[in-house]
Parts: sequence; C-alpha cells; structure tokens
Amino acid sequence: MKRLRLGLLLVLMFAPFAAMAANPGFAGRWRLDPARSSALDGWHAADLVIALDGTQVALTYHMTWRTTKFSATNTVDTAQPQAIKDFFRIEQRHMAVYPRAGESAQVTAAWLDAGETLRVEAAVPVGISQGEGTMRVYNEFRLLEGGTTLLLIELHNTRHRPLVYTFTKVPAEAAAN
Amino acid sequence: MKNRFILALLVLSLAGGFAPVSAETAPTAREAWIMHFDGDWKNASGLPEKAMLIGLQGLANRTAPRLYIAHAPDFPWEITVPLADFYTRKHGVKFTELKTADEALTLFAASAKGYVVWDTAVMPTLNVAYTIAGLEDAIVVTPALIPLAERHGLKRIDDLRGRYDGMTDTQIYADAKTRYFARCNPDMIMLMGGHAGDMRIPGIADWGVRQRMFFHDLSGNPAHKDEVALAMELYGAMNPGAFVFGWHSYVKDTEEQHTTLTSTFGLRMDGLQSLPNHSFNSQFTFTPGFKFQNQHHVDRDTKLVAEKKVYLAFVQSDGIGLGVWTKPGRGKLQLAWGAIPSWLEFAPAALEYFQESATPADYFIGGLSGPSYMYPNHIPADRFDGLMREAVRQMEVLDERIFEILDNSAADGNVGNADLTKETVDRYYAAFPNVIGFINGYGPARTFDLRNGVPMISYDYYIDPRRPREEVAADLQELITINRNRPYFCLVHVRESNDVNSLVEVTKQLHGPIEIVPVDTFMKLAASNQTYRTRYQLPTDPKHFEGFRRE
Amino acid sequence: MIAGGLLALGLATAAMAANPALAGRWRYEPTLSTALDGWHKMDLVIALEGTKVAVTHDMLWIRSKVVATNTYDTARAVEAKDYFRVEQRHMAVYPAKGGVTTATAAWIDGDRVLRTEAFTPVEVSQGNVTMRITSEYRVSETGDTLTVIELHSTRNRPLVYVFKKVPAEAAKN
Repeated sequence: MKRLRLGLLLVLMFAPFAAMAANPGFAGRWRLDPARSSALDGWHAADLVIALDGTQVALTYHMTWRTTKFSATNTVDTAQPQAIKDFFRIEQRHMAVYPRAGESAQVTAAWLDAGETLRVEAAVPVGISQGEGTMRVYNEFRLLEGGTTLLLIELHNTRHRPLVYTFTKVPAEAAAN
Repeated sequence: MKNRFILALLVLSLAGGFAPVSAETAPTAREAWIMHFDGDWKNASGLPEKAMLIGLQGLANRTAPRLYIAHAPDFPWEITVPLADFYTRKHGVKFTELKTADEALTLFAASAKGYVVWDTAVMPTLNVAYTIAGLEDAIVVTPALIPLAERHGLKRIDDLRGRYDGMTDTQIYADAKTRYFARCNPDMIMLMGGHAGDMRIPGIADWGVRQRMFFHDLSGNPAHKDEVALAMELYGAMNPGAFVFGWHSYVKDTEEQHTTLTSTFGLRMDGLQSLPNHSFNSQFTFTPGFKFQNQHHVDRDTKLVAEKKVYLAFVQSDGIGLGVWTKPGRGKLQLAWGAIPSWLEFAPAALEYFQESATPADYFIGGLSGPSYMYPNHIPADRFDGLMREAVRQMEVLDERIFEILDNSAADGNVGNADLTKETVDRYYAAFPNVIGFINGYGPARTFDLRNGVPMISYDYYIDPRRPREEVAADLQELITINRNRPYFCLVHVRESNDVNSLVEVTKQLHGPIEIVPVDTFMKLAASNQTYRTRYQLPTDPKHFEGFRRE
Repeated sequence: MIAGGLLALGLATAAMAANPALAGRWRYEPTLSTALDGWHKMDLVIALEGTKVAVTHDMLWIRSKVVATNTYDTARAVEAKDYFRVEQRHMAVYPAKGGVTTATAAWIDGDRVLRTEAFTPVEVSQGNVTMRITSEYRVSETGDTLTVIELHSTRNRPLVYVFKKVPAEAAKN
C-alpha cells in the first residue's frame, strides 16, 4: 500500500517535467573522482556511462572492487514511471543491506532546472537481517558548468547524511578503449 | 575416521617436536637472548640477514627456548615487546641482548651444521632453502653472507644458485617436492607467502625450520592451474588435521581462495607469514595455577528479555595481537576478541598475557570456524566432527561460550555471499551443544538462526578502518533506521587496525534507543525475541567462487 | 509548468496524514549540523493544521532577531511573497523584492517525512534568478530529533540541519 502511494506520488510529481529536454552534455562516460566524493565503502572505482534516447536515460554503472568488476544499467524514462528489475545502487558493501534479486524498484525520473538536473527517485526492495524492507533512493544528477563534471547527490530515506559523488568526463577516445 | 583424527592430534602433540616447558618444572631463572629487529624487510637490504637470523632462531630453539626476536613498533604483531616483558616477569627469563648477526652466530652457530645459499634473483629459492634448513640443520644465506657463515665454521650444504633459473614456481616447487617432501613434517606445512615484489616478511620461518616443514608459496587461484594442482598434491599428502602455517601470497591469490583450498582438505590454517617467535613461544606452558577465566556478564543459563531497543555489540576477530590490543583506548568500549585457539599449543604464554592484560570490557570468544581458521562449507564431512571436537576442547580451556564462524569462500560484497548452508549450520548446532551463541561472517552476512535458545547472528556491519568515522556513524544509523523492528540486534565486526577511541566517538554520534552490550549479553537478549529472519545460504545466492573439486 | 508540477505533487499527497511528531519547537544543534553562516541560533516552530504545515523560523544573529513563517499546504501548491530561507548571510544572494515563491509539500515515507519544494526568486549581482530548494523534514524514531536535509539547485553540497525538540514547558517561555 505504501509503495503504491509512493508510486502515485512520484507519477504525479514528475509527470509535468517529462517534456523538458535533456541536456545532451549528460551523455558519455564519467569517472568517479574519489577525492571530491563521499567515501565509497568497499568499491574502489566507479564509472558511470549515460546514454540518452528520447525520454529514456540509460545509467550504466561500472564498478570495481579489487579484481571484481560489476556492471549494471538502470534505464529510466522521464515520460513515465517504471518498474525496474534489479535496480542498481552504489551500495555500502560493508552494510547488511542487500538487493532482492529479481524484484523490481518503482522508479520515476524527471529533468529539472532547465535540463541541467536529472532527478531519479526509486523505491528499492532490499533484504535486511529483519527480513525485507524498502529504501527510497533519491538521486539528482547535475551537469555542472563547463560540461566536464557530473555531480550526483544521493539521499536515502534511511540515511541522514547525503552522499555526494563527483564524476569527471572521460574523453571520448579514452572512453572507447 | 574419528579415531584416525584423534590419533593424528595425539601424534601431533607427542611427536610434532614441541615439548613445552612447564613453568612448574622450569627453573626460577632461565637464560635467553633477544634481538631487536628494525622494520627493513627489503630484499635488497634488510631481508637477507633477517632471513638468516630467523632460520637460525629455529635451530637455536630446537631443544630449548633460547632466542627471541622483538620487532619494531610498526611490525604487524605488536606484542613482541610486551610479551618479552611477560616472559621476564612470569617465567623468570633473563634476556641478554644480541646486537649483531655476528654475535648471534657466535652464540648459536653450533646449532647448525652448515648453510644453504639462496638466490635473491629467484625468490622461491628462499623457501626451498628454508625447507633444506629444517631437514639439514642449516642456515639460509645469500652469497653476500657466505663469508660470515664460514667465519663461524659453517660449511656449504647446498647452493641453489643456478638450479632454478628460468623455471616457473610450479617447476621449482615440484622439484623441491621430489627432493624433500617425503622427509618433511606430515602434520605441518609452511605457506610462506605474503608480500611479493621488493620485500618479504618470513617471520614464522623459525617455526617452519624447527618443525622441519615443507615451505612453498603456491597459488590457490584457480587461474593458476598448475600451481593449484601441485598445492593440492601437497595438501592431499598431509596427515588429517594437519596445519598450514603462514599465509597466502598477496600477488598470486586471495586469502579466500587459499583458505578455501586448505579447508577443502580439512587442514587448519594458522596465520600469518609474519608471526614471530613460535619456536620460542611453543616451549612454555601457563604459569603455575593459571586458569583462563573469561569475564562473563551472564550465566550460561540466564534468560534475559530484550526491550524495545537497538542492541549493539562489537567484535574484533582478526588475529589477536595484531593491531588494536596494545593501542590506547582498549577498555573504553565493550569488545569481544577472537583469541587464537591453536596458541594453546604453540604460544600459551601469549594467551596468558592477553588474559592478564584484559580490561573489564574485554571478552574472549572462540573460532574461527574450527580449531584454526577454516571455511566450513568446504570442510569434508568426514573431517568436520573431529575438527570441531578439538575446537570444543579449546573453548573449554579458554572458558569461552560463543563461537565465531566465517566462510568467505563465495564472498565478494553483494556480488557474493558469506553465508552458511543449512547443512553446515546443522553441523555446528550439533557439534557445539554448550555454546550460548554463534557469530557468522567477517563482512556482513545473512545467516541467522535461533534453536533451543541459542542464536546464530551474522554481522550486520564491518568497520573498515579506512572509512571516515562520520560515514561509519551514518552507515550504522542507516542500519538502525532500516531495521525498524525493536528490538534490533546489530552485531558489528571491528577490523583489527581500528582505533578504539574513534569507535567510541562513532557510538556517541548514534541516535535512538541504543544500548551497547557485551556480546554474551547480546546473545542472551537475541535469544529472547527473534526479530531477525532465519536464513541460510540459498542455491540462488550470488557466489564469487564455487570452490575446488578434489579429484 | 513549475506550478503545475508542484500542484500535482500536492494533490498526490493530500490524503496522507501528517506526522504529529513534527509539531512543536525545535532547536538547532550546531555540533551535529552544517554550520550556519551569520546566524547564531535557530529554532523551528512547526504547526500542523489539516493539510497545512506552518514552519516558523526563529532566528538570532547577535541581537538581531528574525521570525518568519512559511506555510505549506500538502493539498495544493502555494504562493508566498515573503518566503524565508535560511540564507548564508555572507553571500550576496537576497530574496528578490516582490518576488513570489511557489512551494509544494507532501508527506512521504509512510507519512513520517515532510518533503517541501520551493522555487524562490533571488536577487544576485547579475539580477534575479530562481533557486530550487528541496527539503526533507525527518523526525527521529525517539521523536526528540529533527533532521532537515536541504538541497539547493545552485549548491553542490547538501545542507543538513539537526534540531532537538524543546520540551513543551520550555517552548512556552
């Protein structure tokens, strides 16, 4: 019930922004700058690849921990809310909060601030020691002036300290390799 | 099979070569010598002499504890100086300092019959040289140290220069196996790995030489098929319940891969490669009348009732003596410690030292997974009960009531898991009828259970010492928020190099109906109200590594 | 467009109940919070009435006292001429004279959290611009702590203000 209400809220909240155009500068490969970011927990490195296609935005995370490499894509749609299976979040790996495999997150997305900000909000099913829970993850992806820096501000409904990740654009040539 | 295992332990204790000196029969004053090492372990500078001296220590201590090494303050094992003081106070050891290798050889060269030359350009030759040293009573030298050895009357027993040029590690150790393995100790083998590149810390080589072990640093990485195959040949040839001392190679494989490999053969892993003075420590017992008395906060049969609170308990289970024990702050936070159980046999004075220096906030627990470090999901079924009987015996001596388990074979954060199968959990409940609780994990894990008032609780959080303290507080607060049912039982694993003072500051930042309790109290409270979900490793859980198949 | 979006946000949550624990006087706790700039003290007084939420800022800077109330409505978007934000007083960012702020509010997370979003015109040296301020008001499990997380569209570092509940008796004085 709560999830439905949140879903309804998100639908109505973001629907009017769907028509706002995306800034094409978001597209490309972005590399986490650890020195200017909240500390990762477990993960050592992160790349974010953003692809724009109409109202769809594909957010692909390439994560590294020692020799482990893990990739996942969340494709959000600014025109309509979605259920995204196995929604990926940059988790704190030393916390016992796990994705529930095969389950779907309710996700909405919208362009804000004249297309300079992509807001994504997801109700993510998680497994915890007490059973099952839902974490509301609120993201603002902001393209900063100059187009070479991407800021990700992430709020969890369960966490009072916001997470702030700064990414730097990987030049197209390097990204192709 | 059970009888075979018990026999193996008996043989190990009688014939393994260690004959502890009881403090009751020891003279009131005992003479020994001490060397102070600096922190230079570089291959090109400090290593050759240190490698020679550590090997010499193994020979000097063959029949009596005579040579002890105290390490620099930044050495991984920080207890070497306090422990020397303990020997002086409690065992009447009068240490005389030896300042140079020349002085050490003057005193102890007679313990050796000669020297073996190893080649700094082919590092595995150091391990082969150590194997020879144990079998032939030799010291290990580089070419530059030959004159020193010969000045003390030592003759060349072997020279490895040129023998292994251009050969792979597999080829080198296969040759060494052919030449030496049959004469080596079948109850102990030395995994002399650790650092690679321009440094090595073979701190435990004294023990390997004294006990005539086969030295190697073969890989447990499945990508290194030849090395794994040879390591499996070696491990498969060891006696049941044998020990693997040392540690894996940091560049070849992971702790998880190699511990999975040793566990697959039911072998007991006892780290690290840097662990010093076992050849000395193994020759003492407890002081007269000493008995372990853990500082229990609840009686074994106590029943507690959890309130609508968040209960936090902290555990440090990495090798005790690594890191935090000797640092300021201990005693300010209720903290459980995983004592190293095999030290009952190999370093009892060290365990007594820890007991003696414990504060009221320190509590000892058993583990890890068995009588040594093992991954239980991979222990052969026919070895499990015998190993756990030894663990139960250790816990009784150490007055411990909580047992900690870790199986990191499939672990890799959320793309792996550190959980126990139901079959493994069943085995533990059957094997440990007297514990008041089990702990599972290292990083977070999801295995939980409650049977007959005995909970099995996995860690909900692991404190990485590098993580900013404000983020640690935010992580813990988030767990408290997302686990909304009260009581919430949050078990926290503290990495050994964390500073206790900083942990105290973290707890001050937490908000809510929080109570920090000793881990035995935590278990009794967790037994009263199961707000955690019973769960085991599921076939569908992600696995980073499936394990090895014994042929 | 903005007003439409905000209206939709308000409508979506109109039926949700307020969290009564949010009501009362809350005192800024500097040791747990993002530093104020200029302001020395801050109390929030929150009053709930139906779908309306009045957030009164009781601010102190040396001897200067400012009291200002933003009233939100979880049923509809509201417009305010004198919308108050906890400004960084040493920054040349001023409320735009005569500017009208459009704001919405919603109860989320099972009605425990109040989210507000305001588009407020501000005057800077180059003229007037709009700042988006998205805030979440979260009351702790024990009811004695309020955390306000505030995002500005123009600021890359979120602001986190922590308040402690002022007991009712003390709040009267």
